[in-house]
Amino acid sequence: MTAVLEVRNATKSFPGVKALDDVSLEIRKNEVVGLIGENGAGKSTLLKILNGVYQAESGDIRINGKPARIKGPRDAFDRGIAMVFQEQSILPVLTVAENIFLGRETEFMRWGVLDKAAMNRAAKVELEKVHLDISPSAICDDLTFADRQMVEIAKAISLDTRIDGDIVVLLDEPTSVLESKEIDVLFRIVEELKDRAAFVFISHRIDEVLRLCNRVYVMRDGKVVSETPSSDVSISRLHELMVGRALHHEYYREAKQGDPQPEVAMEAVGLCSRTGFRNVSFELRKGEILGIAGVIGSGREALARCLAGLAPIDSGTLKIGGEAKSFKGPSEAVATGIGYLPRERRTEGVVTGAPVVENMTMPALEEFSSVGIIQRARERSVAQDWIEKLSVKTPSQDTLAGSLSGGNQQKVVLSKWRIAGSHIVVLDHPTRGIDVGAKEDVYELIRGMTAEGLSIVLLADTLEEVIGLSHKIIVMRDGEESARFDAAPGAKPSQVDLIAHMV
Amino acid sequence: MNRSIKSVLANQIPLLTLIGLVVMVGIIDPSFLNFQTLMVLTSDTMTLFLMAAGATFVILMGGIDLSVQAVASMTSVIVAFLLPELGFLAVPVAVAAGGIAGLAGGVSHTLLRIPSFISTLAIGGVVTAVAFVMSDARSINISGDMRDAHLFWLVGETLGVKNEVWVGLVLLAVLAFVQLRTPFGRLVRAIGAGERAVIASGIPVDRIKAMAFTLSGATAGFSGAMMAARLGSGSPTLANEFLLPAIAAIILGGTALTGGAGGVWRTFIGALIIAVVRIGMTFLGVSVFAQQIVFGVALVVAVAATIDRSRIQIVK
Repeated sequence: MTAVLEVRNATKSFPGVKALDDVSLEIRKNEVVGLIGENGAGKSTLLKILNGVYQAESGDIRINGKPARIKGPRDAFDRGIAMVFQEQSILPVLTVAENIFLGRETEFMRWGVLDKAAMNRAAKVELEKVHLDISPSAICDDLTFADRQMVEIAKAISLDTRIDGDIVVLLDEPTSVLESKEIDVLFRIVEELKDRAAFVFISHRIDEVLRLCNRVYVMRDGKVVSETPSSDVSISRLHELMVGRALHHEYYREAKQGDPQPEVAMEAVGLCSRTGFRNVSFELRKGEILGIAGVIGSGREALARCLAGLAPIDSGTLKIGGEAKSFKGPSEAVATGIGYLPRERRTEGVVTGAPVVENMTMPALEEFSSVGIIQRARERSVAQDWIEKLSVKTPSQDTLAGSLSGGNQQKVVLSKWRIAGSHIVVLDHPTRGIDVGAKEDVYELIRGMTAEGLSIVLLADTLEEVIGLSHKIIVMRDGEESARFDAAPGAKPSQVDLIAHMV
Repeated sequence: MNRSIKSVLANQIPLLTLIGLVVMVGIIDPSFLNFQTLMVLTSDTMTLFLMAAGATFVILMGGIDLSVQAVASMTSVIVAFLLPELGFLAVPVAVAAGGIAGLAGGVSHTLLRIPSFISTLAIGGVVTAVAFVMSDARSINISGDMRDAHLFWLVGETLGVKNEVWVGLVLLAVLAFVQLRTPFGRLVRAIGAGERAVIASGIPVDRIKAMAFTLSGATAGFSGAMMAARLGSGSPTLANEFLLPAIAAIILGGTALTGGAGGVWRTFIGALIIAVVRIGMTFLGVSVFAQQIVFGVALVVAVAATIDRSRIQIVK
């Protein structure tokens, strides 16, 4: 049987990382295909190639067996391929109906004028398909996050009234923000549409994938490492395939997880912020790694940004070295010794258009200056020291930071805070989008920092990572702490323990 | 060709353009290529360079200053007005007034979070009004005696070279040093290259921005003083036609409109290119009034040629 949609030997690189390496995948008629893998394995990139958001550097795409070039999301839509994005693509200022039919307004034109009533009627039909009881004329900004996600799904599957042949719906982690009731609805929709549509389903929850899908692809480090009918495989086997090894402690340098020092570096009491969390309290000791786990929207990202001074804390007390502090901006956080490694490495981590040396000394520039003039020799020798200490692979200090690989960019950011003398470092997804080898380097550096008495707040990319690295873990759900675990070496909580408090 | 040689050449396109233009005009009219003519050309260019010098920092930072010509006009009035009472001290007062106008544009940009093109456009309007009120909407003459007594250092001649050129070169050296060797200069460029990462590094970005706008206003103010000295009068509309050439000088010199790359010595080259083009057009008989057409077109072409627009999806 020919596949309705197929990609063969696709390769795609981003600066610093090979996102897809010779990947092939086929989607057959009336089939639900699962796609799993750790963050950064290449799942979203693969779907974005199928949807025309990205173009593969090599490899080809076939639709119903015929070679095709998908020029963009609109072209994909016209060919019967729709995608539900992980980051929502709904425009908040438009109504539900306007969003569902965005780019298809011509279908509702009468006498050259948009027939809004007709559009709203058509939208109502689409909303009924996803069992969503909201008004088509509601403004999307007023909806809950989950409802917006359902509108997004309605928009994707509205394809079936438009295209005569088979359709393919790409679902990129649609369930991570949905409650179990809505997940059931989504699964029912998939079942209802199966005679018309094929689906690709990305999820972190392997049990969901096994429940819904006919076949499962496992990706790791940009490659497909396994393709198997879901009836033939167990959760633990899939998990092993995803991480590429049976869980093994040395990966996270657990042997080097020393005891924290008794001295408290940072203490939070009842922190609240309208940016997304309430009542967060913790103590962070010198040499300790505090992991924070939670799904998107749990409030942990907001917490990290508040600790870095990038967002305001509305109430509660934050003590650094025993002294209560409130930050008006990141410069005050930096002045009290807090460094922040942001999730968005290329926009917030490094200044891509500036040389490595300038990135490294930026927060401490005043200290490298006397009478207002930068002492270049001193600056360069300190930068060189850290390049060697952290083995940053760069042709020279003057190389633009943007041309380094992801892992080396992270090392530049870490050097920056070491040079600035930060004693608390907030790591927001330090291994996101970097290669496996580079990840191990970063783990080694993190262990090295704690051994020197630095304290770390860690938002990790995977549960395994947060469990492996942390001394203790706070789990957040809906903006509040939902559980707290000790994570001493040899006595680490399991992923299931954490997940139970995350969703 | 070797890649590094190629990139060095690409970097020097403005300088090569300048040399090419000088040679071209020299071929059309060989009398152009003598020391006196070139000296007059360079000294005539210095008011434009001063006006654009500080604004280069603003553009390097990814912002824009549309108030420089208004500030220069206002300070020409201030100099003409205060010269009888303050003597040469009228010039520092004019520079300070320009700095204050620049600071106002910068602070309204950072504090109220409005785009710099709007805040400086608005401040430019305010500044123009101040100049009109102060001068009663007339031009104010500076007597020859006054000028010789207090402004000789701006418009006289020393060692056979016009003082405008000396002043311009000193300012070029100082500003190039500030740009390359001080934290302020480095951070200005870093902000243009990646503002969010600079903020996350704990740099007080708003303060750096306010400083850059102040510097822009101050050099524009100085430029206005020099214009008043050269023309022997101050007027609220004196520098009106200078905004487009000033921005064009910065961009033609090779400072990226998006920020992050460029520098003040490039603006020096850019200002000279503008001057040579102007002279060349005069030789070719193009009306003075039509010359802005050429600068407008050159500006659009230069921006289009220097920005890698394939990476920019949204233009506002």
